[in-house]
Amino acid sequence: MGKRITVPFGSQHVALPEPVRFVFQTENEKIVDVEVDVGYVHRGIEKACATKFKYMQVGYVVARVCGLCAISHTLGYVTALERLMGVEVPKRALYLRLLVSELDRIHSHLLAMGHTAEVAGYENLFMQTFRHRELVMEMLELLTGNRVQFDFACPGGVNRDLTPEVEKVLREKLKVLEEKALWLRDVYENDFSLTLRWKGTGVVTEEMAKEMNVVGPPARAAGLKTDVRAEFDYLPFKEVGYRMVVLKGGSIYERNLVRALEVLNSIEMCWNILDGLPEGDIKVPVKGLPEGEMFVRIEAPRGELFYYIRGSKKLILDRVRIRVPTFANIPVMKELFVGMDYADVPATVISFDPCLSCTAR
Amino acid sequence: MDFRKFRKRSPWILHYNTGSCNGCDIEILACLAPKYDVERFGILNRGNPKQSDILLVTGPVTKRAKERLLRLYFEMPEPKVVVAVGACACSGGVFRHMYNVENGVDKVIPVDVYVPGCAARPEAIIDGIVRALEILKEKGKEVELPHWCSAQVKPPVNRVKLLDRCLEELHGRR
Ligand code: SF4
Repeated sequence: MGKRITVPFGSQHVALPEPVRFVFQTENEKIVDVEVDVGYVHRGIEKACATKFKYMQVGYVVARVCGLCAISHTLGYVTALERLMGVEVPKRALYLRLLVSELDRIHSHLLAMGHTAEVAGYENLFMQTFRHRELVMEMLELLTGNRVQFDFACPGGVNRDLTPEVEKVLREKLKVLEEKALWLRDVYENDFSLTLRWKGTGVVTEEMAKEMNVVGPPARAAGLKTDVRAEFDYLPFKEVGYRMVVLKGGSIYERNLVRALEVLNSIEMCWNILDGLPEGDIKVPVKGLPEGEMFVRIEAPRGELFYYIRGSKKLILDRVRIRVPTFANIPVMKELFVGMDYADVPATVISFDPCLSCTAR
Repeated sequence: MDFRKFRKRSPWILHYNTGSCNGCDIEILACLAPKYDVERFGILNRGNPKQSDILLVTGPVTKRAKERLLRLYFEMPEPKVVVAVGACACSGGVFRHMYNVENGVDKVIPVDVYVPGCAARPEAIIDGIVRALEILKEKGKEVELPHWCSAQVKPPVNRVKLLDRCLEELHGRR
């Protein structure tokens, strides 16, 4: 038995894009205990939403909870608000929201896959993945006017329409993207050294996933059939060809493969949306003051996102509560680490694709 | 030999997130990736403060990140430049006056270049970095202190003592 050694990991670390802190107690190479600290980026957004900002502004503030899934947060908030106030959103706006939310999912998944490759030491694949990700960023920029913080959805509809010229370019880019995504799936599925490194590392079993309430791609990689897109009706997913991707195994390899397959499914959905986009308005005015309470669930790229709002006929809401996917995934990470080799830690953390600015808000 | 000439050929960057929404962070990543590729200026991203010349800071500086930011700043050797990336690093942005933020990086450490935008575009970030390189070339070896710090420094500087002193003052201000 070796001596116990304490290894801090974070808050600023080479392999970490975000400030989270793990303190590992290790014996030789094995980890025997771990503490997690996620609070470095707490800003107080929930409080500010209920004191400083009017209900029409909150959508833009919650978008800044997280830049990777900006549309998911806005979407969660505006859907809740619309349901609370009984606003009927035009069909075209719904489909445009769906388009942006799927493009956002693609870019977020590609980012996560690229990162995992980088942490495994596969710099080349990281660069390739990021190169193809730029295509999505360009598409998003054309469609919404900004690369990261889109501010696309607003209460009552969307802020910008899809013009025929943009649609033409989108189609061209989507075609290129589809080819590249197929190639990427092939690499992530069949590359020899990656499978050696990833298969069987950081395994989440189905029971574990069920017990610890894992959400998003990690859960689906473990064989758990959970996806809010199929369970909660907030956008017309069924009409555009949504399929749930579920794999068995639950290691890093499957998590990335789920992401790669979901990217392909999202591209397919984007094609369907572009082909069958309904005509009509993109926005209806929202009048009145919110009263009562409402919650919605949204499938963000990382899993289930939960929004709860309560208003009492005032311009400023009483409460905005956000529960984010990474928060739900942290317990299972902690459980996984105990008994694992220290060398596998970075890859495992990144394969869950943690978003700390979501978690701490 | 005059090292100034060579200094701007291979600056290494250190990136720290002090509570941003990740929007600007992924744009910095995009800068490092093929399409924008800042490596053509000799720039590498190494997460080690002791080897870095440029500190890229994103986020409005939360109360807990404050101390870490100051530590990182003092661990970097002179000359160094600080680039604040994004609206919220410049002034607080949307997060301004929320209860747990400091309203911008320049409230804690001296900033040389401000890159605006929410999220800052990769082109803007590259422009900021290139300007930072110009500043880096001009800078000497003297230690720069935050504006709120009243310590006097005379070379040779004892960094550990200086950091302690600054931290004390920082906590005293609360
Ligand atoms: S400037 Fe905007 S995009 Fe950048 S970190 Fe701040 S809130 Fe996010």
